[in-house]
Amino acid sequence: MSASFERAALSRRGFLRASGMAAGAIALPGALAACGGSSGGSGGTLRLVGVADQQKPLDLLTKAYTKSKFNASYAPTDQVQTSVRTQLGAGNAPDVHVVFPGNGSAMSMMQISQAGLLADLSDQAWTKKIPANFKPAFQRDGKTLIHAAGASVIGAIYNKKVFQEAGVEPPKTWPEFLQVCEKIKKKGKIPIALGAQTPWVTQLISYALVPSTVYAENPQFDSQMQAGSATFAKSGWVQALEMYLELQKRGFFNDNPNGTTFEQQTSMVATGKAAMAIQVSAVLPDFRKAASGPDDLSMFPVPGADDAAGVWIPAGVVVGLGVSARGKNRDAAKAFIEFLGEQQNINTWAEAVACVPLVRDSSSKIDPVLEPFLSFMDGNRAVPFMDQNWPNAEVQPAHFAMVQELLGGKTTVAAGLAKLDETYRKK
Amino acid sequence: MSLLTIRRAKGGFLRPPWWFAAPALAVYALVVLYPTASGIVYAFTDWNGIGDSSFNGLDNFSKLLQDDAARGSLVNTLLLSVAIVIVQNGVGLALALGVHTAIKSRALLRVVFFAPAVVSPVMVAFLWKYVYNPAPDAGLNGILGAVGLGGLRQDWLGDPSLAIWSVAGMVVWQFAGYSMVIFLAGLEGVPAELHEAAMIDGAGRFQRFRHVTWPLLAPAVTINVMLSTIGGLKLFDQVYAATNGGPGHASETLSTVLYKQAFVFGNYGYSTAIALVLALFVAAVSMVQIFYLRGREVSA
Amino acid sequence: MKLRYGFRTFLLELVMIAVALAFLFPVYALITLSLKDKQQIASTPLAPPTSPTFGNFADAWQRASLGSALLNSTVITVVSLLLLIAVGSFAAYFLARCASRLGFGLYVLFLLGIVLPFQLGMIPLFKLVDSAGLLGSYQGMIIFYTGIQLPFTIFLYTGFIRALPADYANAALIDGAGHWQAFTRVVFPLLRPITGTVLILNAVFIWNDFFTPLLYLGGSARETVPVRIFAFVGQYVSDYGLVFAGLVLAALPILVVFLVLQRYVIKGFASGLKG
Repeated sequence: MSASFERAALSRRGFLRASGMAAGAIALPGALAACGGSSGGSGGTLRLVGVADQQKPLDLLTKAYTKSKFNASYAPTDQVQTSVRTQLGAGNAPDVHVVFPGNGSAMSMMQISQAGLLADLSDQAWTKKIPANFKPAFQRDGKTLIHAAGASVIGAIYNKKVFQEAGVEPPKTWPEFLQVCEKIKKKGKIPIALGAQTPWVTQLISYALVPSTVYAENPQFDSQMQAGSATFAKSGWVQALEMYLELQKRGFFNDNPNGTTFEQQTSMVATGKAAMAIQVSAVLPDFRKAASGPDDLSMFPVPGADDAAGVWIPAGVVVGLGVSARGKNRDAAKAFIEFLGEQQNINTWAEAVACVPLVRDSSSKIDPVLEPFLSFMDGNRAVPFMDQNWPNAEVQPAHFAMVQELLGGKTTVAAGLAKLDETYRKK
Repeated sequence: MSLLTIRRAKGGFLRPPWWFAAPALAVYALVVLYPTASGIVYAFTDWNGIGDSSFNGLDNFSKLLQDDAARGSLVNTLLLSVAIVIVQNGVGLALALGVHTAIKSRALLRVVFFAPAVVSPVMVAFLWKYVYNPAPDAGLNGILGAVGLGGLRQDWLGDPSLAIWSVAGMVVWQFAGYSMVIFLAGLEGVPAELHEAAMIDGAGRFQRFRHVTWPLLAPAVTINVMLSTIGGLKLFDQVYAATNGGPGHASETLSTVLYKQAFVFGNYGYSTAIALVLALFVAAVSMVQIFYLRGREVSA
Repeated sequence: MKLRYGFRTFLLELVMIAVALAFLFPVYALITLSLKDKQQIASTPLAPPTSPTFGNFADAWQRASLGSALLNSTVITVVSLLLLIAVGSFAAYFLARCASRLGFGLYVLFLLGIVLPFQLGMIPLFKLVDSAGLLGSYQGMIIFYTGIQLPFTIFLYTGFIRALPADYANAALIDGAGHWQAFTRVVFPLLRPITGTVLILNAVFIWNDFFTPLLYLGGSARETVPVRIFAFVGQYVSDYGLVFAGLVLAALPILVVFLVLQRYVIKGFASGLKG
């Protein structure tokens, strides 16, 4: 009995690597959670482990790929993280498995490749086309170690009807944003739904604001942090968190954000109880599922600056796949990745998860609600999700906890960021 | 009957041969002893869980002593355990006394109260996240509003000073019936004659409980306290599924810290050190309890 | 003690029923929501369903592919239980009757398994199962559960056997039966109540266990109910009706087993307590 308290289960709930498209806990619609086609001899069968968000595109693409058979499984992020790390630790990695871009999580490209567990993909054609600003997410020492199909953005997912009723338009500057919220509040609706009980949701508002308050003024912030010449506590992070808290102080969030989950946040916006949620574009399918019609919702960049020209946005590479360096089927697995790198397959993946394709051509279809973000991405006013450049896996969870403590009035911006700096410097 | 058998009887042949325990020992050694023994080694390394590792002596343990987060989680773990031991067993005892009577619904009620204990704790946590929904018209808040107690509505899992107690409430809900069953088993062992004798002596209801029932419940108390203590100290699933240690670190327990260190932060060696300390701690507490409670049973 | 059913008893009955109703509230929420579609959940979450729909159950069954998962869970649980009972009762018989220092030491060694966090041995065990080629197989899980639940099983059996008079077995031995026969023919039938307890408590653990099957069976055709159900919950998490229907379906089999065996739970404990 006592034992069952302990061992029974680890939950679905967990950490999102925002870098990874979205929610560990949530997932895109898809077919069965079970195994994919796992027939045939073991020789030609590739073992693939992905996060739930990858299931929809991979169901399509593994079916389209004829050279290998697949034994595929998908689970929410934290479960996959636990089981894949155990398998890696025991020296029995799946042939193809989920890897998060950049650094900052225990399943990120930098952390796993440190142990030499990821096969080099640099000789594949698609790697030549990775845009320069995305390279750090894919490469270590110039070698490409993961494949990912594109980038997702963080912005405000809003309910068009509520905006119409309140007579407001998507704002272009921070003061306009506050006015919009004020008007919505006067109409008796919740301006911004926030589900901060779900840890990964806590970070999204920081991430939406920091590009404008930190990187627009100092694009070198990440390298200065690495060199030790900058700190969170003496940067635009202070301003971003104060703006975050100002939204709370003005009563723009739902009551009790720390007790509200992502699911409740979703339903508030979808049903029109709340006007918007600051979220990653990858969860659009969840919002659409919960809404009465998919066209009820749209998205705009959160303006984190007083002047429209100073607004930058976060755009991060979506959760990707790596090939086990020591697997028996390494070559077959690499061939599958090469297939995923073909333009039409990048398009398929990007469409399935509503992200902006890594490389675009005339055949690429981009979700229309993402249009307002493209000019930022093409104009170099987009920065990767912050954690992708954080040096260890503790900073992101520390950020989650700090935001919950700020919302709960248990710490101050200065104290919180000082602690975050301390976590950043570990190891 | 031959002489031989009688001689064997004198030689203690009643004791079953050792090989009766051999299969169990073999499986146990394979699945628990050997892996645990070889796993403990990691506690003295800096292994990150996937790469190379090197021995770092007792570094992990000295790190543990200075780790504020771990210390906070230790305090939480103790608070949770104490709350669970007291409330779960208190409620369990009350339920047991309630259904160990002539009421007609007693058989049904036993089943009702015990049933949650057979469901997976993670599923229970998932259900309770709905119950603890902070919205005024849903879950527990909705009920409080409906019965005119709207003033008691709470942000059950989101309020940092409440979250840990909300988790305890959920655990008590699931396992109070379990305690009840063990107490019931104890109550059924209390001979009715003792009560009758006490009644004839003019003992009141409470006195009879205090002097007749309670001492005879001692073995049930021992088992209940021990099981709920071990369960409380090792509590993981419920916390992980309901709050993941939040808001902030307000409901972090040793088990959630241990899990995060191993799989989220990639500090496998350190995590193993925490697990080892936890194991020693649980073992020590259980020993003390057995010693103390068993002693009470004898003197009672 | 036989009490008359007087007024006080009646009052007590009312109080206990009220407590039970309050206690059942989460279950009520679970069932009510599982019978409603999205619109009903959004508008009247807690009202009794006016037009109950079983669509959620059919959807959950199919989308979580629970059919094959039920079979997997059943095979693993049943075989593990048989082994646990056989191996565990055997060992407990020895431990309960062996008064020597060796016997006691062995008993403590087994009990140690109750307090050890399984995380300590997780990676070495995984390597072991992997090198034996048992990942994704029933056998691997069955051996795992037998080993991991032996301490608790032995704890329950030993307590019970200690309280059992040794005379029956001794009589059989004196009649010329071997220890094997004495145990299987005479002692084991006497263990029925505690075997019921062992059965239900281990069944609960094995049926609900999630982490190990995720590790050892994930992605194979042998996934158990919790593995499938949690992946399912992860996918449809914002759809309460569907998810709750899935939870009901996953919990139902073990609840039924419990209902069938519930008499033994109390009986088994009652006799075990004496030990």
